[in-house]
Amino acid sequence: MTTAILKNMSVVDLVGRFADIAVRQYEAALIGKVAVYNALIDQMLAVTDELRSRPEDQRSALVPLLVHPNRQVRLMAAEFTLTLAPTASRQTLQELSDAKIYPQSAYAMGTLRALERGDRKPT
Amino acid sequence: MPAEDLELQRALALRAVAGGLLRLRWLAAATRFELAMHRHMRALKYNPDQPRVPRGNPDGGQWTDAGGNGNPIAQRRVRLAGDVPTNDPPEVPKERPKTSGERVGWLKAAARMAAEHGIAAVEFAKIYPWMAYYAAGMQSYNDSPRTLEELQTQAAGPGYDVHHIVEQGQARDEGYPREAIDGPDNLVVVPRIKHWEINQWYQTRNPEFGWQTPREYLDGRNWTVKRSVGLEALRTVGVLKP
Repeated sequence: MTTAILKNMSVVDLVGRFADIAVRQYEAALIGKVAVYNALIDQMLAVTDELRSRPEDQRSALVPLLVHPNRQVRLMAAEFTLTLAPTASRQTLQELSDAKIYPQSAYAMGTLRALERGDRKPT
Repeated sequence: MPAEDLELQRALALRAVAGGLLRLRWLAAATRFELAMHRHMRALKYNPDQPRVPRGNPDGGQWTDAGGNGNPIAQRRVRLAGDVPTNDPPEVPKERPKTSGERVGWLKAAARMAAEHGIAAVEFAKIYPWMAYYAAGMQSYNDSPRTLEELQTQAAGPGYDVHHIVEQGQARDEGYPREAIDGPDNLVVVPRIKHWEINQWYQTRNPEFGWQTPREYLDGRNWTVKRSVGLEALRTVGVLKP
């Protein structure tokens, strides 16, 4: 999906697209389709860049996804709302980490550890 | 028989045939509709009979697998509802997948499902005979995290692999000596499927590394950094105690 198409999408539609991409990542990760997972990262970054460029940084619209039933959607929503909703996003990451279900628990744990060490500076 | 009676009988027979055809046509349409609905429901992963967690619980409103058909694996297959796939375990193929990539993917998925739901690997092998060959690897997936010393001293029995903390391919390409790469300090014994997950982790883009893969991030970095990330990988997949 091109940047021009994303520019014409509403915030609600962009959030829906974000969730859709994360669900496809979930499915790819589940059976080890790493190339598919990695390619979807670019699509997700395009969506979050578009949300960020909207007035008042509309990535805040991703916050409701912190309680989405799919754990990959929760993980990615937390990754992209660390500056906008730090408490809620960290809580989501902690819950994912505690659940010990790979790979989401691993990535959640990695982010929490990087934040503790100060290696990760959310933007 | 009078001609009128014959005509009447013929008309009645024709009506019966027409009625039968009409009924057949109706049944065909109903069947098509039913199949379409099944496909639709399957696409939505919707099972109207599936119970939900009662309101007031942390997972209130979400689907639960309580009250299934008694088969713990079947209960946990496609199960969650809604128009967005949620955390559904996928349908594991009954036949041995043709490529090793697919086999590895499905074995990892099955091992995770088994660990997540406390199902013994042998139960999977009963339903998916092609998995029997990998049962030891699936069983070792449930191992608790261990200390570095334990990982470095345990034997590599069935279901376990020797893993290089600093990845051997990259270290070799960058000219590190073989004695450092294969030195006892760089070797650990890990559950086989966890080993595959470590490899997957190295290849997967990750926000910790600026959305690069760890392997890309480590390209050209020194041994200390490679080892530090290597130990982090072991912690991340739950092999090394935090």
